[in-house]
Amino acid sequence: MSTPGPDRVPSTVKVDKTSGQGKPPAAKSTGAKSAGAKSGTRPGARPQGKGGKGRKPTAPVTVKGSRNWGPIAVAGVVVLIAVGIIGYGVFASMKGTQSWEDRAAGIEGVVNYRAQNNPAINAQDHKDGPLTYVTNPPVGGAHNAAWQNCMGDVYAEPIANEHAVHSLEHGAVWVTYKQGLPADQVTKLQEKVQGRDYMFMSPIANLDKNISVQAWGYQLKVDNADDKRIDEFVKALRLNATLEPNAACSSGKTTTGPIQAAAPPAGN
Amino acid sequence: MTVSTESNAPADAGASDDTTPAGHRRFGAVWLAAVLVFGLLVGLAIGLLGPRLTTPGDDSVEAGFLRDMSTHHAQAVEMSMIAHANSADPAVVTLSADIAMTQHGQIGYMQAWLRDWKLSPTSSAPPMSWMKDSAGSVQNGLMPGMATPAQLADLRKATGTALDVQFLTLMRQHHLGGIHMAQEILDESDNTDVTWLAESQVRGQQGEINLIDSMLKKLQAT
Repeated sequence: MSTPGPDRVPSTVKVDKTSGQGKPPAAKSTGAKSAGAKSGTRPGARPQGKGGKGRKPTAPVTVKGSRNWGPIAVAGVVVLIAVGIIGYGVFASMKGTQSWEDRAAGIEGVVNYRAQNNPAINAQDHKDGPLTYVTNPPVGGAHNAAWQNCMGDVYAEPIANEHAVHSLEHGAVWVTYKQGLPADQVTKLQEKVQGRDYMFMSPIANLDKNISVQAWGYQLKVDNADDKRIDEFVKALRLNATLEPNAACSSGKTTTGPIQAAAPPAGN
Repeated sequence: MTVSTESNAPADAGASDDTTPAGHRRFGAVWLAAVLVFGLLVGLAIGLLGPRLTTPGDDSVEAGFLRDMSTHHAQAVEMSMIAHANSADPAVVTLSADIAMTQHGQIGYMQAWLRDWKLSPTSSAPPMSWMKDSAGSVQNGLMPGMATPAQLADLRKATGTALDVQFLTLMRQHHLGGIHMAQEILDESDNTDVTWLAESQVRGQQGEINLIDSMLKKLQAT
């Protein structure tokens, strides 16, 4: 207040430079403030920040800049780290819930017959009597009205494709193996099947690999029962591959051997 | 020392010349935008993560229970359908229909919750691994109370009173195993859907065991 108007700029600068000389800093700053606020003259307004006209105001401007950017940088880093952590959490969480189709596609050697849109494989009609299938073992197509029991059943003899395909439609995974596969390999497969519903297993004729596992529209052929891809296939497709959600695996055929011809009175 | 000058400036912004407050306002806008963007990101993350964090995960006891109980129930349905098709005793026909339809319906509940929670309907973990001290309770992949393949083959072949007695005996055992599992999830879970269903299973199956006992007594007296 009491600082004389014309003197204001030089005096503040002097104080700034010789701050050790005993002038109370408070007096300086109030003086500067009130001067700037009162006068309203552009050159005198120290905090202006442009520094174009007055050569002296440059010093306060730099002081202002350095004072603010420190906390901003710290806050920025903290925010970046937080966003990174949250982003990773979301990514990890989403990755864990990959769709079963994606998990099936990620298994090396899996053949996706659904993608081929083959009418012979996509057909879901019920038909009596022996039927022919375009793959061995079959992965889909018209089938018998009765399904093969797939409550973790382990069949020691070949079963009818016509019943087995119906079980695939209900969401089961069918484990098949070449007849004559060593007993220890068969036992390992059996341990994956027994006690688990929507699983069944049987030997099959003319298999071109030791083991073939199939769900509706999907197939994986491997040479060894220890192959980890068998478990991956089961985890991805068992129940997920169903075309009829909550259709049962019980109340099916528990007999082995080829399909019985339709009874004459039933027609066809 | 100019600190005080700066921090006081916004207070008398209206009175002083506009250059100082303008700088602060521009600065405030940057902060406001940053906070908004950060808030949106946090909100998006919560929206995406929230359902995962508030519903049971892939290795939770709830998911383990729902998967295993689905398999356990499926065998009760299997045995009941055999008895329903083959029994000549109206009481057995009625009880087996009741069990088959109730438990098949409950499988639908359990599978639907797994689906709601974006979890796989099945697991490659061994049966019962969600339960504490479950080691040794699984025989040949069968959970407590489950009938063996040989017992099921016998049941399929049986007729008359032999069928009724076999069915009731196997189902009594099956219910005891199921109640054991349901009580375990009641101890370990506070998910209201799961405990609601498990409570109904304990209650319903205990009642059915009493009924089965009285039916068995009558059958074996004849």
